[in-house]
Amino acid sequence: MIKVLGLTKRYGTKEAVKNISFSIAKGEIVGFLGPNGAGKTTTMNIITGYISATAGKALIAGFDVLDDPIYARQHIGYLPEHPPLYQDMTVNEYLRFVYNLKKVRHRKFEKHISEICELVGISHVRGRVIGNLSKGYKQRVGLAQSLIGDPDVLILDEPTVGLDPNQIIEIRNVIKNLGRERTIILSTHILPEVNAVCERVIVINDGVIVADDKPENLAKKIAKQNRFSARIVGESQAVVNIVSGVPGVAGVKFIKNAEENAGDYIITSDETRDIRQPLFYALAENNMPYLSFTSYGVSLEDVFAKLTQQDSEHSKEELSK
Amino acid sequence: MTAVFKREFRAYFTGPIGYIFCAAFFSAISFSFYLDNVSAYRSDFSTIFNIMMLWLILLVPLMTMRLWSEEKRQKTDQLLLTAPVGTMEIVLGKFFSALCVFLCALSLTFIYPIIVSLFGTPEVKSIIGNYVAITFAASAYIAISLFISSLTESQIVSAILSIISLSLFLAMNVIFESTNIEFLAKALGFLSMITRYFNFFQGLFSLSDVFYFISLTVIFLFLTSRVIEKRRWS
Repeated sequence: MIKVLGLTKRYGTKEAVKNISFSIAKGEIVGFLGPNGAGKTTTMNIITGYISATAGKALIAGFDVLDDPIYARQHIGYLPEHPPLYQDMTVNEYLRFVYNLKKVRHRKFEKHISEICELVGISHVRGRVIGNLSKGYKQRVGLAQSLIGDPDVLILDEPTVGLDPNQIIEIRNVIKNLGRERTIILSTHILPEVNAVCERVIVINDGVIVADDKPENLAKKIAKQNRFSARIVGESQAVVNIVSGVPGVAGVKFIKNAEENAGDYIITSDETRDIRQPLFYALAENNMPYLSFTSYGVSLEDVFAKLTQQDSEHSKEELSK
Repeated sequence: MTAVFKREFRAYFTGPIGYIFCAAFFSAISFSFYLDNVSAYRSDFSTIFNIMMLWLILLVPLMTMRLWSEEKRQKTDQLLLTAPVGTMEIVLGKFFSALCVFLCALSLTFIYPIIVSLFGTPEVKSIIGNYVAITFAASAYIAISLFISSLTESQIVSAILSIISLSLFLAMNVIFESTNIEFLAKALGFLSMITRYFNFFQGLFSLSDVFYFISLTVIFLFLTSRVIEKRRWS
C-alpha cells in the first residue's frame, strides 16, 4: 500500500532524512518511533506530498506522490502534528468544507459525517466554534477531518497529544478498529502507545531507520536477560548473598530500604532459565519472605534508549574517524 | 475550487474585513460623489472611477493580505496542500472570493448613477463600460496582491509591499516620462495601468485594454500557484 524508496530530504546542508526505505502492506498499523527531530514528521510530510523529497520516492497505492499527486492524495487521510483547523468555523462547517475540498462523491454528507463524529466522539460539539474547543476536542476534530472520504491510508502524526488518559485509551481503540480495513502509520514518542496499538514498529533516529520489527521481537532482540523486581525481608547483604547463590541468577542489586526490615532488589537472570521457583525455595529456607515480586520483562523504553543511543555513539565514532 | 471559494468568502463576512472593505470603499466613493456630482451639479462619473482606481490601491491589499499568511499561521496550508486538488484550484478559489467581496462593495455604488438618472441624464453606456472595466482592473489588483501575499508570512509586509507594487503598476509611466529615454517611457507607458485605463475614463470601451487587465490577472495567478507549489521544494 505504501512504498518508500531511498527517501532523502536535505534542508540546506542538514540531512533530515537519509535514504529511508520501507514498505507497508494493506491493513498494517505501523508505529513511527523516534526522539524529537529524528525525521518522523519530515517523512510523513513527504509521504503525504506536503513537501517534496530531495531524492527517492514514495508510492501510495501505486501512485507516485509527486508524479500523480491528485490520485495519490485521494488515498490519504492526514492528521498533521498541529491539526489544520480554521478557528473561526464551527465543527460542522469545517467538516463540510473538508468534505467539499476532498470532493467526496461516494458518500452522502450527512450520514458520512455523523458516522465519523460518532466514531471520534464529537457529535455533541458539532455546532460549536472550533476556536472555543479544548485541545483534546480539537485533536479529535483533526482526526475526524482525516477520516472524511474513507481514505485507505491514514497518516497520523502524534494523534493522542493533548488528550486526557481516558480519551487516549478511547482514541487508541478507535485507531485499532480503523486499522482493520486501513493502512495506518502513526508517529509517537509515547512508547506504551506503540505496544497498545501497533503491529509493527519502525524506529527512526537521526534520519535513519535503526529498527523495523514487531514490538515484542524488538524487545527480545535487545534483551538477553529477564528482570524482576522484588521486595524481600532480611538484612540486605545476606539477601544479596542468598539470591546470587541461586542457579540461573545473573545479578542482584539492592535498591533501597522500603519497609521495616525489607528492601527492594532488582534481580536479573539468564534468558534460558526460569529462576522463580528455585529463588522462592532458597529464600524460604533462609526465612526471608517475599513481600512482592514482579517481572519487569524488557520495556520498550529500554529498547528505544538502547537503539537510539547505540546509534548516536556509532555516528560519533564515524565522525571521529 | 468552490470549497475554498465558499470558505474564504464566508470568512470575509464572519470576520470584520469584508464589512470594513465595503464600508471604506463605499464611503470613499460617496464622498467623491458628493464633491464631483452633487455639489458640482455634474452627471459625469469618470472622476469617480478615477478615484476608485486610487482607493483600491489601499483597500485591495487589506483584503488579500491574510489569504495566504493566515493559512500558514494556522497550519491549514497542510490541509489544502495534501488534499486531492491542484494548487491552481486553491489559488482560484481565493482569488474569486476576494473578487466577489469587491463586487459586493462595487454594487453598493450603483445607487449613485440611479440617483443621478432621477435628476439628469447620465451617459448610461459609458457608466456600464466603466463598471465592467473597473471590475477587470480590480481583478488585476487582486491577482497582484494575492501573489505578494504568497511571498511573505507577515500580513503587514504583504499589505505594504502590495500597496507599493500596485502604485508602481498604476503609474509607472511617470518614472521616465520627463526624461529623454523615449524607448523606456513608451514601454512603461504601455504597461502602466493608468494609461491603460485612460480610454475608459474618456468613455471609450477598449477591448485591448480589457485584455491587458485579464492578462495581468492570469499571469499573477499563475505566478502565485508557482510560488505555493515551490514551497514544497524548499
